[in-house]
Amino acid sequence: MSQRFKNLYHWLNIQFHRIPAIPRNFGVMALFLCCAYWISSILISHTGGENNSALVFVLAVVLISLLTSGYFYGVAASIIGALFINIYFMEPYDAFSLSRTGYPVAMLSMVVISCVVCALTARVKKQAIEAVHREKKTRALYEQNEKLNAEKAAIQLESERAAIRENILRAVSHDLRTPLTSISGTVSVLLESPEISPKNLTMLSDIKQDADSLIVMVENLLSVTRVQDGTMPLKMREEMLEEVAGDALLTTRRRFPDCHVELDLSEDILYLPMDPLLVKQVIVNLLENAIRHSGDTEHITLRLYRQEDWAVAEVRDRGRGLSSEVYQAVKAGQPMPRSLSGDSTRGMGIGLSVCQNIIKAHGGFFTAENHTEGGAVFRFGLPTEDQPA
Amino acid sequence: MNEKQTILIIEDERSISNFISRALNANDYRTIPAYTGKEGLSLFFSHGPDLVLLDLGLPDMDGLEILAQLRGLPREVPIIIISARDREAEKVRALDMGADDYVVKPFGVSEVLARIRSALRRAERLKLSQGIQRDSYQIKDLTIDLAKHQVLLAGEEVHFTQNEFKIIELLAIHAGKVLTYDFILEHIWGPYGGSGSNQILRVNMANIRRKLKENPSEPKYIHTELGIGYRMLDD
Repeated sequence: MSQRFKNLYHWLNIQFHRIPAIPRNFGVMALFLCCAYWISSILISHTGGENNSALVFVLAVVLISLLTSGYFYGVAASIIGALFINIYFMEPYDAFSLSRTGYPVAMLSMVVISCVVCALTARVKKQAIEAVHREKKTRALYEQNEKLNAEKAAIQLESERAAIRENILRAVSHDLRTPLTSISGTVSVLLESPEISPKNLTMLSDIKQDADSLIVMVENLLSVTRVQDGTMPLKMREEMLEEVAGDALLTTRRRFPDCHVELDLSEDILYLPMDPLLVKQVIVNLLENAIRHSGDTEHITLRLYRQEDWAVAEVRDRGRGLSSEVYQAVKAGQPMPRSLSGDSTRGMGIGLSVCQNIIKAHGGFFTAENHTEGGAVFRFGLPTEDQPA
Repeated sequence: MNEKQTILIIEDERSISNFISRALNANDYRTIPAYTGKEGLSLFFSHGPDLVLLDLGLPDMDGLEILAQLRGLPREVPIIIISARDREAEKVRALDMGADDYVVKPFGVSEVLARIRSALRRAERLKLSQGIQRDSYQIKDLTIDLAKHQVLLAGEEVHFTQNEFKIIELLAIHAGKVLTYDFILEHIWGPYGGSGSNQILRVNMANIRRKLKENPSEPKYIHTELGIGYRMLDD
């Protein structure tokens, strides 16, 4: 029941406020003044003489100031009311007169009372509106706060997760690198010792080679976990590509002292943002790939050049070229085919995947093809700074 | 050589410490292993080694703190840092704090030996010169004449800009030592010269390389320490 009233009230309220403010306020004023006049007429015809019309008009003024906005209509209604009383409900009837004793005081007090009441109602109304407004604001603030809290919690969780991952990676890399370094180092001490027989010497050099390729493998695995899930940002910094390439070549030469790789520098200075350790790793992987799998260790070239807005590095060999499987996989940007994880090609699959992932994370391109004069060409380009993002 | 030179190895991983020791012993150095930072400091004071190999990741104290303590002493002993591959900031700080050189884990024996030889040679040279600056340097077929402000490559003069010459001069004076980007920038362009970017230095370096016909993969005169700085080779 009360719900129905509430709905009705709500509906009336909306309809009422649909009327433009000025006609609405005038209408309200006219309506209530008419009612007061009508009630007072009835009262005066029943009681005669002394009447309570003043109270009726004050009530009308209160209602008018409640239903209109601002002071104006209330004050106007109180003055009109006082005039009505004077003209219609006081002797001499139907005429304006201030001659009766005490009448000016009564009339003035009625206007003052009406004005005060009107001011009070206006204030109450204003406060009510303010209260509603405040409540709305508080609620909005509260909701926003809730939302911010939720976001903060999510970010915190994410950063904690990234920190944990970083810690695990660091621990793993330390715990794998340290023993591998000491295995490789100890073996190289033994290799130079005069007491080792030639037969043992080959076994030792096998150990050394395996330890060294494990070191590379660990670096690759660490990089691929870092890049692949995208949670750890690249450590970008401006770097000279020729210095990175030179460093990569030095590393490769240390591992494969017998092979010949030529570095062909560009005249342009290629200074661009990259994660230098990762880019170095790409070059090391490509060179190692060429050395181990192309069947040619004599004519490998690493060429750097600028092509439009790309800084390009190209590793070319004169070996047996790419199988169509590898070619297709690189072209499609897919992981290397399973057959490449066999014994003879150990590490090639993961090496190339790492390269692709690292270059992709840099926003660069990675291609592989067979050269018309024989041999394979692996090429990657990194966006230079003047390239539109 | 009259007496064996002594090298203090401050490294908590015994297996690594052991193989470095063996390699150094085989090359006629005397070694003292220390497995913690405190032990390292006390062994340093009791033995007075000719060179220190210092791992930055020690269990009991920060390697950089040990470095600061050793560098606070009047006796300048060459210090070579052992650090992980991906901690470049740490290496740069160590070098700026006065370390002479660094090796990166995983490293090879020959690498450590080469660095040790170079650092000892440099220390020897400093002791002989007693702080008097030479006015010309010779690196293979490269002659840097500071008095005449001239660089000769295989007898022929190569022309450099003012800043390029200043860089070569600075590298030559400190030949054998890794100079960080910041160190070079500050010496050539003043304390605010780099203003946060070392592009100006890197571009100058690329030009020097081209004029010297240097290939960064086969450095004859200037070695690039990726992400750290440059070093002029001293043999």
